[in-house]
Amino acid sequence: MNEIFKYRAPSSRAELFGLLSDHGDGAKVLAGGTDLLVEMRSGLCRPEMVINLKKVEDFSGLSWSQADGLVIGPAVTVNELLDNERVRGSYPLLVECALTLASHQLRNRATVVGNIAHASPGADMAPGLLCLGARVLIGSARGQREMALEDFFTGVKRTALRDDEIVEAVTVPPGSAGCRGSYRKLKRIEGHDLALIGVALTKHDGAVRVGIASAAPTPLLVKGLSTEDPPEAVMAAARAAICPISDLRCSKEYREHMVEVYVRRLLEEVR
Amino acid sequence: MWVSVEVNGHVYEREVAEHWTLLRFLREDLELTGSKDGCSAGECGACTVMLNGQAVNACMVLAVEVDGASVETIEAEAVAGELSAIQAAFGRNYAVQCGYCTGGMVMSVRELLRRNPKPTVAEIKEGIEGNLCRCTGYQQIIEAVLDVSGQLCRETKGELRYV
Repeated sequence: MNEIFKYRAPSSRAELFGLLSDHGDGAKVLAGGTDLLVEMRSGLCRPEMVINLKKVEDFSGLSWSQADGLVIGPAVTVNELLDNERVRGSYPLLVECALTLASHQLRNRATVVGNIAHASPGADMAPGLLCLGARVLIGSARGQREMALEDFFTGVKRTALRDDEIVEAVTVPPGSAGCRGSYRKLKRIEGHDLALIGVALTKHDGAVRVGIASAAPTPLLVKGLSTEDPPEAVMAAARAAICPISDLRCSKEYREHMVEVYVRRLLEEVR
Repeated sequence: MWVSVEVNGHVYEREVAEHWTLLRFLREDLELTGSKDGCSAGECGACTVMLNGQAVNACMVLAVEVDGASVETIEAEAVAGELSAIQAAFGRNYAVQCGYCTGGMVMSVRELLRRNPKPTVAEIKEGIEGNLCRCTGYQQIIEAVLDVSGQLCRETKGELRYV
């Protein structure tokens, strides 16, 4: 790990945004740390300043309202999401995604927003959130802006965030509550592993949506499909949307094949 | 940076380097070497400790982050030389081979039983999925958890058997 960095733990949004305005290009935001510390240790990332956002007031909020839907603050851990009654009742797809993410100890630290903001192609929370129409609330000293999650990812571990910005919340619209869907993650072992591929599929108001991880530079969403479409059409649309690579976990061809297999299985399973 | 942290009931106030992990602080500053450094990447679970009552990988936490927090390590598991119920069950069921993973395993089992006092075998496997045992002695560990949660009968306690 690089041995020279400054550590800051601001307690207010104003203080946090001030630090990011002044040091944004050399600073890294620390939430759960389960991605950041691995990258710092391996030398992939050498920040001059690490800014812990867990002490910022209100950042631990996880709320639901009829008007705003589910609002997930940047310090909310994956296990806090899993323990939330509203999430368990109304967003079972997110529970499925979250249960596949790493191990219990890591889920006690890892945050939902961090999983999105880190923008790994294999982010386990992404396929479900994409299917549910999640949005990203971005904040900085300059104000707030909002965008659809599918527009947020721009490349491998790259996002629409500028140096002085953070994700202040990931929101799931109220209309997605109770949406039928499921997530399947292909792994080498049954326990803790990264996804070879991850596929979420929802059927809601006659529309079929497919969220896919680990099969392109970013997690992606396939939409514009209907429950009336034959399975082959949905599989072909998913196949056309992905562009996987071969890596140490499996080959490109295996990923292409298994995305189609999982889409077909999910079309049968999700009723 | 100065941190004040409660570890196993004692409050320590120490100057700690920003880049030190909680694991390094525990092992090298406080000399609590029961938490092991296996992978330094959150994969193996040998460094599992309780942070504010929740199991976490100590290698995935900066020491400066635990200012004001409470930490419990495997050293606090036995009280006055008496093994805890989990530790005794590990011993009774031969759930220790080389011992490197054991401290982390016990911490994860404590977390599991806190949330779920009578876990099924599937739930036990899920509960310890973040802990690697390179001796692959998982069967005995699972039996130890069944034992301590009162799910092994008297006849099979401490007997090596398949679940």
